[in-house]
Amino acid sequence: MAYKLNMNSTPLHSGTTNELYEMLSPALRAELARSERSTVVPEGTALIQQGVCPEHLVIVNSGKVEVSLNCTHRSPSLDYAEPGKVFGMRAMVSGELPEVNVICTEPCSITTLPRDVFLDLLKNNPEIYFGVARVLSTDLQIADQILRNNSHRSSSGPRTRPIKTV
Amino acid sequence: MAYHFQIIEDCLRCTFREQSLFCDLSREALLHLQNIKATSVYPKGALLCLEGQSPRGVFVLCTGRAKLSTTSSEGKSMILRVAEPGEVLGLTAAVSGSPYEATVETLEPSQANFIAQTDFVRFLQQFPDVGLKVAKQLTHNCKCAYDEIRSLGLSNSVPEKLAKLILRWAENPVKLSAKKPNETALRVTLTQEEIAQFIGTSRETVSRVLATFRRKGYLRVKGATWTILDRRALEKLVTT
Repeated sequence: MAYKLNMNSTPLHSGTTNELYEMLSPALRAELARSERSTVVPEGTALIQQGVCPEHLVIVNSGKVEVSLNCTHRSPSLDYAEPGKVFGMRAMVSGELPEVNVICTEPCSITTLPRDVFLDLLKNNPEIYFGVARVLSTDLQIADQILRNNSHRSSSGPRTRPIKTV
Repeated sequence: MAYHFQIIEDCLRCTFREQSLFCDLSREALLHLQNIKATSVYPKGALLCLEGQSPRGVFVLCTGRAKLSTTSSEGKSMILRVAEPGEVLGLTAAVSGSPYEATVETLEPSQANFIAQTDFVRFLQQFPDVGLKVAKQLTHNCKCAYDEIRSLGLSNSVPEKLAKLILRWAENPVKLSAKKPNETALRVTLTQEEIAQFIGTSRETVSRVLATFRRKGYLRVKGATWTILDRRALEKLVTT
């Protein structure tokens, strides 16, 4: 089930902490808040789909989501993200399609920001890039940590900490 | 000349700029960069930063290559990736303020421009094209890491992993004058131990698999120059 924006949703207050907003000035947070929409989505909702360009930046306010990678044979789970995590940033700023799937594992309250609004604001306020870089750095740190934890990559024996598959 | 490359002190005159992931910036940004960077030349084996060290800043690799290695949860050294010219090293640490995630060691004589953390953060916040380049670099690094994770989940054999690595290196072949048209030459600056750290196996296994590749006529190894003789055979080994 793919995520669709509920048009009856309400804007989220700009004071909410998430990994992007905590890097921004109150004025910028307020500006972003004007275009925010918040909604509650059920378990199983796909917030980000691999290969599908996201229309919105998605911020998880409450609930738990699973981030997984599609492989030829399996879908290794990368992480269970919790409130405050921002998704869709990589695709939004680089124009590349998402490589991961993000699925709600329980009902989640989320906030969305339309892509065009975010990119416009980014163009006029380059200081947002610091927040963007922080979000992307966290993703990279998680990916590198997975590589560290699964470094016993020889095919000759079992891994001590196998990658979870879903 | 101690090093086999010309030292580039002026970013505005750098001829490699357009091919680089980070440096193809606006004139204004390049002028600013000139004022905040410190150019240094490093010999092979120089450590630019150490895993766990507090971040001091970033290094823009101008020429040469560097390996990014880390310590696994089992205490073994593993290579995360090899950085090419134009990459910014130490980026996640400088942006997040957390310690350097990896040890960066030059694989050959290299030039790098150092930018102090505070200067770099200001630079990133001031120029949209710098922000965009940083975002693209982080996206690229993340993509590389995801590719690695994908191959972890697939239990590839060592010959397959090694074939995959060689084919990836073949995307940037060196130009050799006496090369046959169907051959691809590579300059491999990693030792067999480092290759083993790259693909998660032992040096002995790398040595054995390489010997098999040579015996079967897939590859010719002469010092640091490896020549792919049978590309199709290597591609057949790669199933994923």
